[in-house]
Amino acid sequence: MTTASPSVFLLMVNGQVESAQFPEYDDLYCKYCFVYGQDWAPTAGLEEGISQITSKSQDVRQALVWNFPIDVTFKSTNPYGWPQIVLSVYGPDVFGNDVVRGYGAVHVPFSPGRHKRTIPMFVPESTSKLQKFTSWFMGRRPEYTDPKVVAQGEGREDAETEIPRSTWVCLCPNPAWLMLPFCPQ
Amino acid sequence: MNPREEKVKIITEEFIENDEDADMERQKKNSKVRRQPRKKQPPTTVPEEMVSEKSHLGNQQEPVQEEPKTYLLSMTARRGPRSLPPIPSTSRTGFAEFSMRGRMREKLQAARSKAESALLQEMPTPRPRRLRSPSKKELETEFGTEPGKKVESTQQEIDSQSHSRVKFRDSARKIKPKPQVPPGFPSAEEAYNFFTFNFDPEPEDSEKKTKASHREGTNQEEEEGEEEEPPAQGGGKETDEEELLNGDDAEDFLLGLDHMVDDFIAVRPADYESIHDRLQMEREMLFIPSRQAVPTYKKLPENVQPRFLEDEGLYTGVRPEVSRTNQNIMENRLLVQDPERRWFGDDGRILALPNPIKPFPSRPPVETQELSIKGELETMYKKAVKYVHSSQHMIRSGDPPGNFQLDIDISGLLFTHHPCFSREHVLAAKLAQLYDQYLARHQRNKAKFLTDKLQALRNAVQTGLDSEKPHQSPDTIQKTINDYKSEIRQTRKLRDAEQEKDRTLLKTIIKVWKEMKSLREFQRFTNTPLKLVLRKEKVDQKADEEAYEAEIQVEISELLEEHTEEYAQKMEEYRTSLQQWKAWRKAQKAKKKKRKQAAEEHPYDETEEPYPEEDLVKPIPPEPTDRAVIEQEVRERATQSRRRPGEPMLVPELSLAGSITPNNQCPRAEVLRREDVKKRSLYLKVLFNNKEVSRTVTRPLGADFRVHFGQIFNLQIVNWPESLALQVYETIGHSGPTLLAEVFLPIPETTVFTGRAPIEEMEFSSNQHVTLDHEGVGSGVPFSFEADGSNQLILMTSGKVSHSVAWAIGENGIPLIPPLSQQNIGFRSALKRADAISSIGTSGLTDMKKLAKWAAESKLDPNDPNNAPLMQLISVATSGESYVPDFFRLEQLQQEFNFVSDQELNRSKRFRLLLLRSQEVPEFRNYKQIPVYDREIMEKVFQDYEKRLRDRNVIETKEHIDTHRAIVAKYLQQVRESVINRFLIAKQYFLLADMIVEEEVPNISSEGSGILGLSLFKLAEQKRPLRPRRKGRKKVTAQNLSDGDIKLLVNIVRAYDIPVRKPAVSKFQQPSRSSRMFSEKHAASPSTHSPNHNADYPLGQVLVRPFVEVSFQRTVCHTTTAEGPNPSWNEELELPFRAPNGDYSTASLQSVKDVVFINIFDEVLHDVLEDDRERGSGIHTRIERHWLGCVKIPFSTIYFQARIDGTFKIDIPPVLLGYSKERNMILERGFDSVRNLSEGSYITLFITIEPQLVPGESVQEKFESQEDEKLLQASEKFQAECAFKFPNRQCLTTVIDINGKTVFITRYLKPLNPPEELLSVYPNNLQATAELVARYVSLIPFLPDTVSFAGICDLWSTSDQFLDLLAGDEEEHAVLLCNYFLSLGKKAWLVMGNAIPEGPTAYVLTWEQGHYLIWNPCSGHFYGQFDTFCPLKNVGCLIGPDNIWFNIQRYDSPLRINFDVTKPKLWKSFFSRSLPYPGLSSVQPEELIYQRSDKAAAAELQDRLEKILKEKIMDWRPRHLTRWNRYCTSTLRHFLPLLEKSQGDDVEDDHRAELLKQLGDYRFSGFPLHMPYSEVKPLIDAVYSTGVHNIDVPNVEFALAVYIHPYPKNVLSVWIYVASLIRNR
Repeated sequence: MTTASPSVFLLMVNGQVESAQFPEYDDLYCKYCFVYGQDWAPTAGLEEGISQITSKSQDVRQALVWNFPIDVTFKSTNPYGWPQIVLSVYGPDVFGNDVVRGYGAVHVPFSPGRHKRTIPMFVPESTSKLQKFTSWFMGRRPEYTDPKVVAQGEGREDAETEIPRSTWVCLCPNPAWLMLPFCPQ
Repeated sequence: MNPREEKVKIITEEFIENDEDADMERQKKNSKVRRQPRKKQPPTTVPEEMVSEKSHLGNQQEPVQEEPKTYLLSMTARRGPRSLPPIPSTSRTGFAEFSMRGRMREKLQAARSKAESALLQEMPTPRPRRLRSPSKKELETEFGTEPGKKVESTQQEIDSQSHSRVKFRDSARKIKPKPQVPPGFPSAEEAYNFFTFNFDPEPEDSEKKTKASHREGTNQEEEEGEEEEPPAQGGGKETDEEELLNGDDAEDFLLGLDHMVDDFIAVRPADYESIHDRLQMEREMLFIPSRQAVPTYKKLPENVQPRFLEDEGLYTGVRPEVSRTNQNIMENRLLVQDPERRWFGDDGRILALPNPIKPFPSRPPVETQELSIKGELETMYKKAVKYVHSSQHMIRSGDPPGNFQLDIDISGLLFTHHPCFSREHVLAAKLAQLYDQYLARHQRNKAKFLTDKLQALRNAVQTGLDSEKPHQSPDTIQKTINDYKSEIRQTRKLRDAEQEKDRTLLKTIIKVWKEMKSLREFQRFTNTPLKLVLRKEKVDQKADEEAYEAEIQVEISELLEEHTEEYAQKMEEYRTSLQQWKAWRKAQKAKKKKRKQAAEEHPYDETEEPYPEEDLVKPIPPEPTDRAVIEQEVRERATQSRRRPGEPMLVPELSLAGSITPNNQCPRAEVLRREDVKKRSLYLKVLFNNKEVSRTVTRPLGADFRVHFGQIFNLQIVNWPESLALQVYETIGHSGPTLLAEVFLPIPETTVFTGRAPIEEMEFSSNQHVTLDHEGVGSGVPFSFEADGSNQLILMTSGKVSHSVAWAIGENGIPLIPPLSQQNIGFRSALKRADAISSIGTSGLTDMKKLAKWAAESKLDPNDPNNAPLMQLISVATSGESYVPDFFRLEQLQQEFNFVSDQELNRSKRFRLLLLRSQEVPEFRNYKQIPVYDREIMEKVFQDYEKRLRDRNVIETKEHIDTHRAIVAKYLQQVRESVINRFLIAKQYFLLADMIVEEEVPNISSEGSGILGLSLFKLAEQKRPLRPRRKGRKKVTAQNLSDGDIKLLVNIVRAYDIPVRKPAVSKFQQPSRSSRMFSEKHAASPSTHSPNHNADYPLGQVLVRPFVEVSFQRTVCHTTTAEGPNPSWNEELELPFRAPNGDYSTASLQSVKDVVFINIFDEVLHDVLEDDRERGSGIHTRIERHWLGCVKIPFSTIYFQARIDGTFKIDIPPVLLGYSKERNMILERGFDSVRNLSEGSYITLFITIEPQLVPGESVQEKFESQEDEKLLQASEKFQAECAFKFPNRQCLTTVIDINGKTVFITRYLKPLNPPEELLSVYPNNLQATAELVARYVSLIPFLPDTVSFAGICDLWSTSDQFLDLLAGDEEEHAVLLCNYFLSLGKKAWLVMGNAIPEGPTAYVLTWEQGHYLIWNPCSGHFYGQFDTFCPLKNVGCLIGPDNIWFNIQRYDSPLRINFDVTKPKLWKSFFSRSLPYPGLSSVQPEELIYQRSDKAAAAELQDRLEKILKEKIMDWRPRHLTRWNRYCTSTLRHFLPLLEKSQGDDVEDDHRAELLKQLGDYRFSGFPLHMPYSEVKPLIDAVYSTGVHNIDVPNVEFALAVYIHPYPKNVLSVWIYVASLIRNR
């Protein structure tokens, strides 16, 4: 529908998922993916990735260091729907099941240069205490159907009318932080 | 050891101090003793006292004390010796022992027996204390007593108890008589006491004590040493001691009591005071305020009336609520306590501030949730913000920092009354005032002005009368003259009034002056320099008289004129009224006549009153003639108000030239007054915004009661002034200043600058009451000028301040005024702050009038200071002074932010595209990458959309070919839109499950997951069980899908009874075939192949080599080829799914109309070898595929069913040339309950979508209904009960009609007449008719509701609507069929249940003789109850015209249930005895009216269709030539009507014969397709799916014939015969 070479602008993102602070957990790995609007399309690089499992550093910081690189280029015609990076961190629970330890999302920085973002992580809470227990016991914590919903607003406002509010209290079980330096160019 | 030592030291020091006292005491001896006794020794029994206090009697004491000492020693061996020292220091340590003793007495008693042994031990120990003593002494000498005291305080914690005791001891000790001084003995005892005292109170310290006691022993020694010191300080100390004593009284008293209880047991009768006495006493002592209301006069000063401020209009505020009784009590108490009544206000009530409680909370409510509380408590740190100014009217930050200046010039003060005024002053002030008034009047000289005006008017009238002609018509002139005249009258009155005022003023001035003069004479001194001189201006007597007379004459004439006018007017009135009266009278008389005489009186009375007779007389008197009277009047008035002619004009002149009598000539009272005046001085405070900013110097009050200040204050201000006030303070002598009054100055206009501001005078007054004891008249006090004291005057202090306020002008000539925006003082600026909009130029207050009205209605207290700005605003607004815009502007900044004009913006294609996308217009909803530039957007993007918009109202005939359907399509479109609007809300309706995956709570009742324990048990299960069970797939919501994510999986398992090829036929073989068929008819085994056919095939091929091709959305997949009529493929085909417009939302998916075609083909290998000779060396075959049949499954069915699993009947064309069903031999169709299983071919399929999509939930919405509420409730209950028992069985009681209303389902069932045409075909064969009717119904196109009404909402249309729409889903078909059957007289029910592949659906059940038949209304087929291939798999409920029966049997498969609805154990009926059928009227029409089918239109359509299809087939073969065999086509065309007639039965053989006869040379493959007609597209698809066009044999020819048979109501049956012909060589 457009001419042969439509004008676009490019957004190049270099960066890495540097480290995380999950004081209670260890041996975590991290997935990332991008959420962007209709006018955006990835042209190069990986849109999603999954990192290695890392253990806590032995020093005082207790940081989980991944240094997992991100390199992706988008093209777009419209700033609307600026890409967001969605991170989800997983790790084994006491029974060895992989459970989600945190979700988080942040917009790719708008200005060129080196940026560092710290993302607070959260997980959805069980709807009831019993479910909390069983989910813990069975190792099947509530998780999002798709991590991308973290970056999307739709459905949340309506859902509130349908579902008791408490279910939407997404508790951050601990102050968990992810460091993400970006170098958009 | 150290700390301990210190402690001990401290103690000793204290002791020492006390010792000194003791020393003195000793010296004073007896005298002291005498002093002490008052303390605590009531003269009780002697002996005990003596024991307790040795002070009383020395002799007795000694022995007693001796004893204790010894005992103690025995107790603690070490202690004893230390305390022993027999040195005469006894008196010193005394204090300690006293305190001790009180405590220790009992213990001492107990220890007595051991005393002697202790004594013995005393001797050896003196040494250690000796050693220590020097250091002690040093301490002592160095620090004296003072440091010791200090330390003591620190130590208090340790033994505060003992300290207090020490104190009483102190005092107690003083009682001690000196005689006991004798050295040694008493001292030892005292020492002992001392120790015991010290430690006893803290028993746990016993160890310490022993150590400490050691120390104390040494102390003792020091004391000894000290003792020797002369008690030099003694004298001074003693007095102190005395004071101390007093202070300790109370403690001593307590101590004494202690003693009493312990030691002095006095037996006395219990004290009893009679209650009476007690009450008496209490009455004396206590005051109980009465609860009676206090009369107001008591609360107010004498002779003062209560004054209610509120009634006077002052704001008082709301008093806090206090109960009446409490108020009374308080008032009574206050009256007694505070006789000055300061607590009572003017209204006689207790003074009270307004209620401080706010009616609403000023703090936001705290949510009670835990979390929020936590949040609430969290401290938030904010950066410190510089607080600029407190006032709300401060200058905005944007303004230049205010260095504005207001100059206030206070020049002086003048009292118009002052307490120190003498009587003369009062008069003088009055005179001055009057004179001022006179001057003012004189200056204006209104009388003169009015006189002149009068003159001018008269002249005008005169001239007007004279020279009227030239210009105007007489009318207008008359009018103007009249106007003049009336004005003359007006002016004359005014002038008279003015003149009178002038005259009276003059008179008063003279009178006051006379009074003053007489007063001066009377008191024989002069206080004021005032002097009035009346200057007489001579006038020319004659001229004056003439003028006077002329004036009077003129006036008289005017008055006369006036009177005559009046008279004329009155006459006129009189006449008319008279006439009226007469007429009335006449009527009255007529009435009277009619009436009887008796009634006469009464009406007469009534008429008497309104008589105008009296009026009639009055106007007649000759007033006009009585000039004398008028003249009289005029003259009288003139004399009163005017100077008499010839009288000199008096001009008063007030001067200050008079001399004041010096003090020495005045009487004493006057001198006092003058001195008092001199003592007084005044100053002014300048208050800016209620804050004092400066004050004037204090100036003495002059004798003339003037104060000159002449000061200019330059106020540097930042804020726009709110208020500016001066406070007048007066000081008398050396006493403090008193506030006399407050003067509020107006804030100057911005145009008033320094230098130009006039000096203004502001009056003030004070309400102080002053009475003076000299000549001064005081203030607020009545006084009189008369000797007898009558005619009293009360004057209040008052005066004037002359000042000027102006804005200063800066150095460069710029006025230092706050900017203009601030100029709207007070309310405007205040509101601006509050109103964000007004701050940018417009006011948020839209309607002042309304506001004022509201204020009036809500009864705002105008006096409440809180409402002040509002009231001011209202008053200003209503008076119209303030500019209030009469418009209200929204988005007032929009203009500024518009970077492009609206038109331009609308022209932008990109913007439009973005807009359309955000509006979710279907064409653009999923538009990706909207181009950046307009030029990159092609116009054609919008073309489709615009076309759609244009065409919305245009009926497109191209697509639909016949107009009726086009209309229907349009109608459907409209219904769809309305339904979409209704369900728009339900869009984007996410559930928790859509967002979050969460394990369900283990349910106890469900068998699968079981109890929690069971599921836990599952944990122990093997991870990879040997026999895995199918797990439910993960469902995917539609939101995150994109193209290619969804796949359609089709698993083709096997097929049964595929038609087999017939041997390559020739003309000659025909007879044999028929015979074979006959023979095969009774073949027993359906599965047996007929191997004999093999022989017929030249290549030895099997009977049939079928494969399955699945086409969906133009994607085609096919299986491998299997062999034989019962092939088994077991293959999975995967087809991609693409949603329309890339929209994968639920709403979009469920309206996908695409159909999955599953076609079964026969793969035929043709030997193309031209030459038999080559057969040995190679194989040349051509593969041909022959269509055998198909199964069509709509995508929507798959979408809703999630998976389709089952065996389906293959739709095989009635005529399949070249193929035959092997066992197609059942002759008796229909009603045979044991129908052959193998009729038709079947295929087993499994279809699903990967990933599994979640179908949208149906909206559980309450629709309005016209049904009876009871019925609705009953139906809800019924459904709930049914759902509880059998949740999987469909139960329907109410449905939604096409208008969106809830309708009870039975209303849809009612006998309806089928078309006559159909009935007449088989008039005698009911069964045939039934089949025909079913066929008719099945010919109406099927269109699921979900497709037509993009929501999950099953709409039921009535049969006539259905026939009009010519589209509907199972329900409509079933209802119509059921109604037809009912009208045919059958017993028929609607069956709600599940079928394959439709899912929940509706079938029709009929009762035929002895057995039930199940009809599929959409296909027209019927099945016996026990037919295994019946697509209906389970039955939920049956619906008849008057009842609903729910299946409560164990099974729900039609094979296993009993359809006898009369058995309540098997069928639960809705209407029963408890709820009888109320006789619901049907929603169906009375009768269906069928139009005769339009044959011409059908024929036309037929031709067009044929043309279209031919074109299509040619399109599909782009690389090949498509030849049409016209001969064959015409043959086929003739053949099709026959098919229609016979419904495809039993025509094949004839047809074949025919064809063979005609096309002998061709190899023929073809088949007729039969479909109901809805649109062209499905027909094309069907033809395409057969793959006829795929033959690429070079010499192939095609034949295509279309036949449309019209049925009533435009139901069209379409036959398409497609064939390919290959010429045989």
